[in-house]
Amino acid sequence: MTHPSLAELADKIRLLPAMPMIALDVIRSLQDSDLDVDGLARRISQDQAIAARVLRVANSPFYGLQKQVGSIHDAIVVLGLSTVRSLVLAASMITCLPGGGAGSFSRDAFWRHGLGTAVAAEALARVLQRPPELMFIAGLLHDIGRLAMVSLYPDTFAALREQALREDRPLGLLEAGCFGFDHAEAGARLAALWNFPPSIVDAIGRHHTPGDTSPGSLAGIIHYADAIARALELDGEVDGQVPHLDQATIDGLGVSWEQLNSVLAETQSRFESCRLMLG
Amino acid sequence: MTEPLLSPLDQARPGDILAAAVTDEGGSVLLPAGLVLTESHLDSLRRREITRLPLQVAATPTDPAELARQREAIHQRVMHLFRHTAGEPGSSALLHAVIKFRQEQCR
Repeated sequence: MTHPSLAELADKIRLLPAMPMIALDVIRSLQDSDLDVDGLARRISQDQAIAARVLRVANSPFYGLQKQVGSIHDAIVVLGLSTVRSLVLAASMITCLPGGGAGSFSRDAFWRHGLGTAVAAEALARVLQRPPELMFIAGLLHDIGRLAMVSLYPDTFAALREQALREDRPLGLLEAGCFGFDHAEAGARLAALWNFPPSIVDAIGRHHTPGDTSPGSLAGIIHYADAIARALELDGEVDGQVPHLDQATIDGLGVSWEQLNSVLAETQSRFESCRLMLG
Repeated sequence: MTEPLLSPLDQARPGDILAAAVTDEGGSVLLPAGLVLTESHLDSLRRREITRLPLQVAATPTDPAELARQREAIHQRVMHLFRHTAGEPGSSALLHAVIKFRQEQCR
């Protein structure tokens, strides 16, 4: 069994398939205050596979559109730029990134959990009156380091996963013991290489250790959203477990009982829409 | 099980759940399906002069014994998911909310 360092993992990341141009455009646009929306819509439309997945979700019952949208431009008009941009990024990542051949690891379950966490984070954003777009993206990608580990070190990762199942232990702890870093650290490194905004990089890196972030941080919201998605079993895994929740972080979010019930209902409902993206 | 029904807005109460999205005249989503309504949501709908909305309503009750069995199975399953964290204070609210939410879905 090999024991690569985080630096070696970062070096190997270039071996992963390149992201579609439109995904890079979307990431760049997140920090562009003078965005050419029409130009972005045109570029999204040129990638027909991604545009088709986005329109499938946009036309799902969740959005309750009275008239079906047939183009990315119309989807932006009806649903708004931030919603469509989030969906485009999700479709791009799901389409281009590999992740298979590592024992019982399921790529489908991985993305189901990513989408589940994304919609849970978005629902939390709504009750906390925060902008939802960065929440969705950080939720979607919070475990992306695990996908890189699976792809680059399939045999090592498969052995770790089998050990986690056999001993009923959190996989993240075993990752850290074997690699010297866990999927959160690996994901933050990956997100930084892809030029995601620093707040998303930070949230990915600290979603299991949000205790030292400020109350209401993006990392804290993803910490809660991750557990919500696991508790609702949106990944469809039979061996799931809800991760540890940091009490100070949860208290710091200030989500009321009524709001939490609303978040659960919205998460379940929106997930049924977003999962159409998976094929 | 639940079924959608277009109900007058003045009959809706906080805690009711939307069976489908509420949209404006242009088709834009105002409130998503599955949302648990609050008083502020209802106020917002009144301001927009929306008069009817699709609410989930309880369908014909199933056999009480079967319902109790389903609810117990859900309780056990959720406790299994929280098997490492059920006693932790940070997990308490989510644990109880998820049990309640998932049990209500089997009505």
